[in-house]
Amino acid sequence: MNYFPDEVIEHIFDFISSHKDRNSISLVSKSWHKIERCSRKRVFIGNCYAINPERLIERFPSLRSLTLKGKPHFADFNLVPHEWGGFVHPWIVALAKARVGLQELRLKRMVVSDESLELLSRSFASFKSLVLVSCEGFTTDGLASVAANCRHLRELDLQENEIEDHRGQWLNCFPESSTALTSLNFSCLKGETNLAALERLVARSPNLESLKVNRAVPLDALTRLMSCAPQLVDLGVGSYENEPDQESFMKLMAAIKKCTELRSLSGFSEVAPLCLSAFYPICQNLTSLNLSYAAEIQGNHLIRFIQFCKRLQRLWILDSIGDKGLEVVASTCKELQELRVFPSDLHDEEDNDTAVTEIGLVAISAGCPKLHSILYFCKQMTNAALITVAKNCPNFIRFRLCILEPNKPDHTTSQSLDEGFGAIVQACKGLRRLSVSGLLTDKVFLYIGMYAEQLEMLSIAFAGDTDKGMLYVLNGCKKMRKLEIRDSPFGNAALLADVDKYRTMRSLWMSSCEVTLGGCKRLARNAPWLNVEIINENENNDLMERNEEDEREKVDRLYLYRTVVGARKDAPPCVTIL
Amino acid sequence: MENSNSYSPYSSSSVDSTKPSPSESSVNLSLSLTFPSTSSQRETSQDWPPIKPRLRDTLKSLCLRQRRYNTALFVKVYMEGVPIGRKLDLSTFSGYESLLENLSHMFDTSVICGNRDRKHHVLTYQDKDGDWMMVGDIPWDMFLETVRRLKITRPERC
Repeated sequence: MNYFPDEVIEHIFDFISSHKDRNSISLVSKSWHKIERCSRKRVFIGNCYAINPERLIERFPSLRSLTLKGKPHFADFNLVPHEWGGFVHPWIVALAKARVGLQELRLKRMVVSDESLELLSRSFASFKSLVLVSCEGFTTDGLASVAANCRHLRELDLQENEIEDHRGQWLNCFPESSTALTSLNFSCLKGETNLAALERLVARSPNLESLKVNRAVPLDALTRLMSCAPQLVDLGVGSYENEPDQESFMKLMAAIKKCTELRSLSGFSEVAPLCLSAFYPICQNLTSLNLSYAAEIQGNHLIRFIQFCKRLQRLWILDSIGDKGLEVVASTCKELQELRVFPSDLHDEEDNDTAVTEIGLVAISAGCPKLHSILYFCKQMTNAALITVAKNCPNFIRFRLCILEPNKPDHTTSQSLDEGFGAIVQACKGLRRLSVSGLLTDKVFLYIGMYAEQLEMLSIAFAGDTDKGMLYVLNGCKKMRKLEIRDSPFGNAALLADVDKYRTMRSLWMSSCEVTLGGCKRLARNAPWLNVEIINENENNDLMERNEEDEREKVDRLYLYRTVVGARKDAPPCVTIL
Repeated sequence: MENSNSYSPYSSSSVDSTKPSPSESSVNLSLSLTFPSTSSQRETSQDWPPIKPRLRDTLKSLCLRQRRYNTALFVKVYMEGVPIGRKLDLSTFSGYESLLENLSHMFDTSVICGNRDRKHHVLTYQDKDGDWMMVGDIPWDMFLETVRRLKITRPERC
C-alpha cells in the first residue's frame, strides 16, 4: 500500500469512518499513523479525563467533529455529585486557541457554562452542529449566543439537559439570515417560549427536518408550525392538558395529514388522549415513537394508537400499556428493533395488575423477529420466561432488565434468576450491553464470564454473593469496557486480582460495595496509569491523612478509569484522587 | 458498624424460599437508601429505580395530581329508615350543588344542606374521625378528603 502516494492512501482512509477501524489503521505503521491522524475529522472521547485537549489537538489537527463524555453513567440516577467535574470549558478554550476548524460538538453528561457557549459561538466560523445530552450548568443566555453568532448552524439538539430558563428571547437571536436549520430540539426547556419567533424561524428554515418543542408550545401554535413545515420527519410535541375543542382538533389533524414525511414522534407529556388521536392519519408511517412521558394517556388509548403503527422500529413507552398492550405490539410491529418500557408507578401505590410482567416480554420476543435492543422495567420475572426469550431472540445486542424490587426471585419458583440470565448470554452471542436484576447469586456471573464474549458494558445492582462473582466477569469478558456495580458484596479481592485488566477497560464504578479505602489505595499504588477516585459527600474528609484504622473503612463510591494524563486538577472537595 | 452480609438474604448454596420478614429487611435501612426494603417500608429513593431525572419528575407530579384528583371516590349513601343504601362516586360532582341535585333525583325527594327541620331531608356525612357532620360547612375539596359516608336524615317529627 505504501507504493501509493499519501493523498491516495488518505482518500482510501476517507471511506473508513468507524472509530474502531480508524484506530486500528493508525497502528499499522508510522506512515499510516501519520496519514490517518492528519486526515482524521471525527474523534470520539468516551471519558474526557482520559486525555487532555492539548494532546488531542496535537494528534488530530484537522479535527472537525468532537464527541466528549463526562460524568459516569450512574450520574443519571443521582449517584454522582453535581460538582464532580466534566467541564467542557478547557476543551473549548484549547480548540479556540489552536484555531481548530470545529464544526460539530457532541457532549454527554458534561458541565457547560454560558461562558463556554459564548466562546464556542465566537471561535469557530464553520460551526454547524451542537448536541448536548444530559448536560447542565448553562442558561438560555448561552443558547442566545449560539443562535446569534453561529452563522452556519444547522443543528441545535438539547436532550434532557438541566437548563436554567431566563425567559429571554433566545429564539429571537437567530438572525433573519439564518435559514440552514435542519434540526432544532428544545424540549427540555422549562420556561416560556416566544411563539412568534419560533414560527418565524421555522417558516424560514425549509430544510428543517427535526423539530422538538417544549411544553410551552400550545396546540394552535403547533398546528401553525406543522402547517409551515410539512417536510418534517421528526416531531416532538408540547403538553396539552385539556382536550382540544372540535375546531382546533380538525385544524391540527389537517396540518398533520400534510406531513407525509413524518416518521418519528415524541413529547406528549401531560397530553390529553385526544391529541394523540390527531396523529392517526400518519401513524402507519411512523418508525419511531416515544411516549415515555405520556403518563396521562391510559393503556387502552395507547393500544388503539399503536395497533396502526405497522412500521414501527423503535418504541419507548410506559408500563401502563400492560401485557395486553405488549401483545398488540408483538402482533402489529413486525419491524420492531428497539423497545423500552419504563415504570409509571414508583410507589407501588396502584397495586395494579395492569403493569407489565414476564408475559409481555415473552410476547414481544415471540412476535418481533428483528428485536435487538430492549430496556424493560417490570415487577416480576421468571427463569422460564427468560429462557423462552433467549430462544426466541438470539439477536439481542442490548438486554437490560430492571425488576423494580431488588433481590426479587423468580415469582413462580422462588429461585434466583441465574438460569434465566444465563440462557440470555448463552444464546445471544452478539450481546454488547447487559443489565441484570432480581435475585442473583455468583452463578449468573459465572455464566456471563463464560458466554458473554462480546459484552462491553455490564450494569449490576443488588446481586452476587462473594468476590468470585466479580472475578468471573473480569476474567471472562475480554471485551469489557464499562463495568458499573452498586450495592453488591464485591470487595478488595476482586478489585485487586488483576490490575492490568483495567488497562483494557474505560472505567469501573463501584458504589455501596465492600471495597475499602485500603484496597483502593493499594490499587492506586499498583496502577499509576489509573485515576482512582473516591467520592464521599458526607463529612469533611481528607482521605490521605487517615490513619491505619480507617483503611478498613468501606468506600462509599469508587470510580476508576485509565488515563494518559494523570490525576485531574479540577476535582471538588468531595472527590479524592488516590 | 458491623459488616454483616446484608445484601443477599439468601445464601449462595441453597436458596431459601422464605423471604425475610419486613422487620428483618428494615434493619438494613440504616445502611442508607441504597438498600430499599420491601413494599410497605420502602422509602422513595432518589437513585432507585434507575430512571432519568426527567422521567422521575414527570411521574412524581403525576402521582401528586392523581392523589388530589383521585379518579374514583365511592361512598355509601343511606336514607334514614331505608335499609338499602346506594353507592356514589363523589369525584363526578363539581360541588355541593350538583351533589344535592343528584341525591334529590336519586332518592326522589328534595335533599338540602342545613339544619334539621320538619320539612326537609338534610344531608349529613361521617368524616374520617367517625363523627357525623353537616354537609356544606367546609370547602368542597376538603370535604372530598374527609368524607367517608353520607346519610340523608328524615324530616323531624314533633
